[in-house]
Amino acid sequence: MKLKIVVLFTLIAGFVFVLNPMAIDARGGLEIGATVENFSLADTDGAARSLNDLKGKNGTLVVWLSAQCPVVKGYKDRINEIAAAYRAKGIAFVGINSNATEDLNWVRSNKAEFGYNFPVLIDKGNVLADKWGASVTPEVYYLDAKNVLLYHGAIDNDRSGKNITEQYLKTAFDSSLAGKPIAKTRANAFGCTIKKTGESN
Amino acid sequence: MMYNFSFSSNGTKTAVAGWVFVLVLSATAFGQTKRPVKQPSRAPVSKAAPVKAVLPPDAPTVTLVDDLAFRKILVPNGKPLMINFWATWCGPCREEFPDLVKLDGEFKGKIDFITVSLDEQEELTAGVPKFLFEMKAKMPTYLLVTPDEEAAIAAVSKEWAGALPLTVIYDPKGAVAYFRQGKVKPEDVRIELNKLLTADGPVVTAVP
Repeated sequence: MKLKIVVLFTLIAGFVFVLNPMAIDARGGLEIGATVENFSLADTDGAARSLNDLKGKNGTLVVWLSAQCPVVKGYKDRINEIAAAYRAKGIAFVGINSNATEDLNWVRSNKAEFGYNFPVLIDKGNVLADKWGASVTPEVYYLDAKNVLLYHGAIDNDRSGKNITEQYLKTAFDSSLAGKPIAKTRANAFGCTIKKTGESN
Repeated sequence: MMYNFSFSSNGTKTAVAGWVFVLVLSATAFGQTKRPVKQPSRAPVSKAAPVKAVLPPDAPTVTLVDDLAFRKILVPNGKPLMINFWATWCGPCREEFPDLVKLDGEFKGKIDFITVSLDEQEELTAGVPKFLFEMKAKMPTYLLVTPDEEAAIAAVSKEWAGALPLTVIYDPKGAVAYFRQGKVKPEDVRIELNKLLTADGPVVTAVP
């Protein structure tokens, strides 16, 4: 009897998922388990880069950045450290800047200043941010090698870096790399608003 | 803007001189569209520093809230409740503050308007009251410190990912009537508040 219920539930869950692969969450963004469409954006040198070209064999971490957000500045060393550590494990990092208030030169010089060791792509007109529902910096999306969203949200639970008790992103990486389910697939933290086109910044 | 406060043996004198310096700086900085924002420092902050000494005696008092106290201030008390979430390190938050102070004056007594700062706890008696004083802000202001920001954000609205600034208006029953991530458009706020204040009849409360 119990087994029957479990089987039935799995079937229903699977069915719903298949019917609704680009499911959206309460904030109008991507839902965990959704398959992300490939995208192509220019990097800070003007070269077109696509998700499928950049992704690692164990997936991709897409992180929304800002050149002026103090929270991003507070996270830059952590981002670079995590990027270096997990690139070695097959996860590629891709930065996205969707801020209408930050021009290409600013984003390029900020990338050099913060020492980002991964490409930063320019999301002109915040098209990708709108499609994915990204609204805050820093905000991360962890995709597996098939571009399925596994984790979305904050990097850890303390922007000051002094009292971190939850390493949301690293924990998600480690679980996934060990072939285990990710216990916490969503987490929010305070950050800066992405300044979108047409907003009074 | 970085202030070079020194807390040596003649700390009071230095602090007073520092405050005068701050006033002069603030006066010259007003009117500029982009004020440099104080960056959060990852360097350890000395707890012994007598930061209070640099505040004027009539600077507002900011109330520290933990997760539990935070839940209580989210509950309307018979009036529409407007809450602005901000931080001194947040540029757009600082930019929109004069608009918020103006709205507070316009709707005084008709609504409850509070602000919640997400600054570091060290700013409770330093940067936060200093900024409120500069802004001549009278809204009751709280500073939230919680190990579980995730839960605090969700308690405000399911639509919120935590980006600052955020302004939310709850109707007297606690339902979200206005939700704005990024700087507010004062005219939209006025329209929304007037709508709530002219809603038909008094607020009906459910009989248990």
